Amino acid sequence: MKISRLIFFLPIFIFFNFSNLVSRDILVGSNREYKDIKSAIENSVNGDRIIIDDGIYQTNGIIIDKEITVSGLNSAIIDAQNISEAITIKSSNVTIQGITIKNIPVGFMKDYAGIRIENSKKVTIKQCRFVNNFFAVYLSNSDSSNVISNVITGNASSESFSGNGIHLWKCNTINIDNNYISGHRDGIYLEFAINSVITGNYSEKNLRYGLHFMFSEGNSYRKNIFRGNGAGVAVMYTKRVEMTENIFEDNWGPSSYGLLLKDISKSRIYNNMFRKNTTGIYSEGTTYTIIENNIFSSNGWAIKILGNCNYDTIINNDFLSNTFDISTNSHLNDNYYDSNFWDRYNGYDLDRNLIGDVPYRPTSLFSTLVVKSPEAILLVRSFLVELFDLTEKIMPSVIPESLTDNHPSMVMKNKKDYIQYD
Amino acid sequence: MINKSYIIVFLLCLFFLSCGLEPEPIKYGKDLCSHCNMKIMDKRYGAELVTAKGKIHKFDSPECLIDYIHQNSLPASDIAATLVTGFNEPDKLINTSEAAFIISPKLPSPMGAFLTAFTNTNEAKKKMEEVGGELFDWNSVKTKIINR
Repeated sequence: MKISRLIFFLPIFIFFNFSNLVSRDILVGSNREYKDIKSAIENSVNGDRIIIDDGIYQTNGIIIDKEITVSGLNSAIIDAQNISEAITIKSSNVTIQGITIKNIPVGFMKDYAGIRIENSKKVTIKQCRFVNNFFAVYLSNSDSSNVISNVITGNASSESFSGNGIHLWKCNTINIDNNYISGHRDGIYLEFAINSVITGNYSEKNLRYGLHFMFSEGNSYRKNIFRGNGAGVAVMYTKRVEMTENIFEDNWGPSSYGLLLKDISKSRIYNNMFRKNTTGIYSEGTTYTIIENNIFSSNGWAIKILGNCNYDTIINNDFLSNTFDISTNSHLNDNYYDSNFWDRYNGYDLDRNLIGDVPYRPTSLFSTLVVKSPEAILLVRSFLVELFDLTEKIMPSVIPESLTDNHPSMVMKNKKDYIQYD
Repeated sequence: MINKSYIIVFLLCLFFLSCGLEPEPIKYGKDLCSHCNMKIMDKRYGAELVTAKGKIHKFDSPECLIDYIHQNSLPASDIAATLVTGFNEPDKLINTSEAAFIISPKLPSPMGAFLTAFTNTNEAKKKMEEVGGELFDWNSVKTKIINR
């Protein structure tokens, strides 16, 4: 009985399976079946692949509401001519590959984007190029998608209205890998995004931040480079963020930071390089966060940690050639410093266990003064200041007494070997 | 002799007049928000506080302005003016008492409160036809944001 039923249904199964397997290639080009992209999409069905010949396609407002792949051969360029958005994806299982999108207008009431992904799952944008767009890739209310190996260059200047390179709003499980982003407001922006992973991107010369988290829980970013942005990365109003093996570099300016932490908790900052920033880490309202195995080199301030930061752990880091190592605005300290290497440490190690025998105080009186009145920086390295700092070291009165590293390392803790981008 | 002292008094008056409690335009892309420390970028959401002593604080969103006043417990006597830019007219700072506010989940604002200011109630209502939401004036929006 069962077998006969199976045999009866078999042809139906086979038919449906095959109809799914047979996906067509639809060609678009000046001497192909379809001359423009819109009509090709209109005449496609789920599973089709639209292949676009080289050339410039002056079009906008393309809507993809089917499960299709759109790919460019070598240099298929969609020029939106500063009229409207180029592509809006409203379907799941869409892939867009190898296309150049340019000239998305600056919107005053609307956030125009090169590719907008709305309420979709499993969308992939890869190997695309975005030139001169307001927003480049805009994901809203979408899940399980990938933005991989794209080159995104905006031309935002400080005067103009500018949008973000990759913008996530209410998203879940998004992979952002291996992209290059420059010239936007924020390189990558996450608002209400969870469980997303940001790996191997190079974000530089963006107006505000290389990467920016707002109200986004449980995300991680690793092996990214943030260079020469208004500020490197801002992590704000967020919990559980993993930050590992990134490089924060050349963020110079009165309000520039390598990493700006504001109201975050339970996060981990591990194995990163902070080099040549005005401030390596600026930390405000940070709790239960671990700063471990990082290198702080040639910064103005390695870490500025404000009085409202509690229960943070700062261990096994290397502090090299910073003007100030740690500075704070409070005379209390609720954070734990241990086993760091401080190049300014001038204690001794008689028992040769590579741990300094006298505790080290990483803050100085002067750095505290500078936090309160920045103009005092004029006096840095003057004789008077050195004298102040020495007195304060012997009899602490202004700097927090418990802010000491009781086991300062005599040797560097971390290798610089992951800096391969010099 | 008398003439001279009159002139001096007059000049002194002028000097003090010039230190008025005037708001200052926000330099977008340069100024920092006094509350959240972020660079102020979006012209549609600028906000400003002028204290009674003439100190100017700039904000990247009306919600930052409200939170700043609330968290620093500024008494009303310390506040000379609070200003916002309207979503519909982003280049001008207007007094918050003239502005209308909407909170709509369909209109995200820079600091996550979904709060947007408009130059008047009519403009706000026009936008509400598109995005829905709830209409507030300055006093009611303050309580709403503080208790969010």
